[in-house]
Amino acid sequence: MRIRVIGAAALLLAGLAGCGADRPAAGDPVRLMVFGTPEELASYRTLISAYDKAVPGRPVQLVEASDRKDLIARLSTAVAGGAPPELFLMNYRYYGQFAARGAIDPVDTRLASSTAIAARDLYPQALEAFQWAGRQYCLPQNVSSLAVYYNKRLFARYGVAPPKPGWHWNDMVATATALTRDVHGNVANAVEAEQAPAPVDVYGLGTEASIVRLAPFVWSHGGQVTDDDRAPTRFALQTPAARAAVQQFLDLRQRFGVTPPDEEVESMDDESRFVNGRLAMLLSSRRSTTTFRAASDLDWDVAELPRHTAPANVLHSDAYCMTKGARNPDGAWRFLEFALSPAGARIMAETGRTVPSHMAVAQSPAFLDPARPPASARVFLDAIGHMRRTPTVATWPEVEDIAADLFENAFYRGDPLDRVLADLDRQTRPVFARAGRP
Amino acid sequence: MSDRRQAAAMLAPYAAGLALLVFAPAAATVALAFTEWDAISPPRWVGLANLRELWGHEPFHKALTNSLVFAAVAVPARLALALGLALLLHRPGRRVGLARTVALLPTAVPEVAYGLLWLWLFNPLAGPVNRALTVGGGNGLTAWGALPPQWLTMPTPARAAIIIMSVFTVGELFVLLLAARRVLPAEVYELAAVEGAGRWQVFRRVTLPLVAPVLGLLALRDTVLSFQVSFTPALVVTDGGPPQGATTYLSLFVYRTGFEYLRHGFAAAATVVVLLLTAAAVAAQWWLLGRYRSRYVP
Repeated sequence: MRIRVIGAAALLLAGLAGCGADRPAAGDPVRLMVFGTPEELASYRTLISAYDKAVPGRPVQLVEASDRKDLIARLSTAVAGGAPPELFLMNYRYYGQFAARGAIDPVDTRLASSTAIAARDLYPQALEAFQWAGRQYCLPQNVSSLAVYYNKRLFARYGVAPPKPGWHWNDMVATATALTRDVHGNVANAVEAEQAPAPVDVYGLGTEASIVRLAPFVWSHGGQVTDDDRAPTRFALQTPAARAAVQQFLDLRQRFGVTPPDEEVESMDDESRFVNGRLAMLLSSRRSTTTFRAASDLDWDVAELPRHTAPANVLHSDAYCMTKGARNPDGAWRFLEFALSPAGARIMAETGRTVPSHMAVAQSPAFLDPARPPASARVFLDAIGHMRRTPTVATWPEVEDIAADLFENAFYRGDPLDRVLADLDRQTRPVFARAGRP
Repeated sequence: MSDRRQAAAMLAPYAAGLALLVFAPAAATVALAFTEWDAISPPRWVGLANLRELWGHEPFHKALTNSLVFAAVAVPARLALALGLALLLHRPGRRVGLARTVALLPTAVPEVAYGLLWLWLFNPLAGPVNRALTVGGGNGLTAWGALPPQWLTMPTPARAAIIIMSVFTVGELFVLLLAARRVLPAEVYELAAVEGAGRWQVFRRVTLPLVAPVLGLLALRDTVLSFQVSFTPALVVTDGGPPQGATTYLSLFVYRTGFEYLRHGFAAAATVVVLLLTAAAVAAQWWLLGRYRSRYVP
């Protein structure tokens, strides 16, 4: 008898829980999962509070992950647990693993019937990056690319001319060399810093040794990153054009010593070094802008990426993706419409975080206002014309991690390039083979 | 209620927790090891494919080697330090209480906070450890003219850093060994003193054999733990690096494979290997302990 009562109670509780799960969810908050620096997160909060004012009673909750890997881990476990956030913001290089597994709700039907936003208003380069198997899976929030951030005060102090439009790779190396200074202000030999007569105080250039930093220079030199960017089966960095571009990239540290060595990077990351006036130039995307704007006494601007033979750049675009099986998809879509509408895109552009994917907003003072640094923000728009993207296959995050490890060893520890490229090919081919194709 | 029923009633909550939180997940992990599962779509049976892939998987081999080396170095080092502290601090005395608290304290610090603290201590340029090592040297070199260890950027110093971190969290081992030492009969030591035994002889011939059973059990337990305790420091302090995978231990390998690359089936197969290794280590130490008992305990 007692067992029957307990069983009935358990069934009742389960039934109640089930009813709770299935109830209409229009009033539930829309959860938006993102990661970023405190300044970036502040931008998203600004957008959400604007939405709260514009559409009262439709709460949006920001779910903050610590970094990209944490976001992927939390998102996958939330999906597996049957309680995914309604929306998440993800770079095109990483959304493939979720698209391939059916965790994302395509938005093309909603987009076609929307009166608030239209595909024709958004940059096609960013839109296409989020198309999987012929469908639009996510909608791009930004259309960023790589730029050279530079500290104007350091250039002026050492009498070095700022970057000019159309500058060459060699110009960048010469500029970085002229700006790499020891504590006495003399041009420093920073290849073997410990053998130098005085410690290095300012480095000429900061960059990661990763595929996404290397790629535009490989393309600019006439090479390819993979054998087929749509359906890659292996890297194609062993061709003479690509190899030469990679070697010149590695020379920044190994031959010219214009970038900080790894122990310096471990002690202070490149963005902090730039803010502290100890790094003259930094290769980064638009996401650094919010951090640099927060540094009030920093005098800085951006310049276009230098070229080898042809101008080239790499897409850095994040998009809002709707998870399949979320409780409040309609609420998520309403917020997404607001975020990508001219009003929403303008708010995000004004925070400095984005190069807006909305074409009209990108061309407006909300983004181009010279009073808000960077004064040369148009550099980001000029890059769109010669922008390419890396693959979006499901295993690309794993491929990038392997490549980052190997290039880090080559860049900082001088591993021979031939060995690195051979290892890269050997280690990534099985990973490419496991990938789902868009 | 009979004694047996009472014992069963008292054990029931623990047994239920064990079944629910340990045995059921372990069984599910073993089952998942034979599937391809990304935590999003349903698992797909792949038989022994994951185990076959592990056999030739370079990052797994590296993680396995790192874990075995960590266990081989860290476990004896932790036990030696805990035993040393216990022998040093078992007698009551001035400030002994304070010293015991200091020995215990690092164990009480939350793991992530502890990791972040060492991240600062081991900072290659600004960290106090290397600052201390470069006292008396010039231009960033030590007094003997060498570069200080690049704790976070070179493989061997990074592995050493993780072991050093683990060595300071011996509070629990210390307390257990302190208790074991304090219950040893004083007469045995008085007899040894009468016989004119020196300190080393007393330690080797009296103390060590008497605490050996406790030491053996702790070694067994610490070996099992060593496959887990390396996770947080490797994640927080070295991020599994320097490349490629110098401080990626099995626990971190499993986490990354499962939660970052969404290969939960493959990660489960690696976990099964960890379970088998742990079982083997326990069996070997149990056997050694059994031999010791049969030889020394009447």
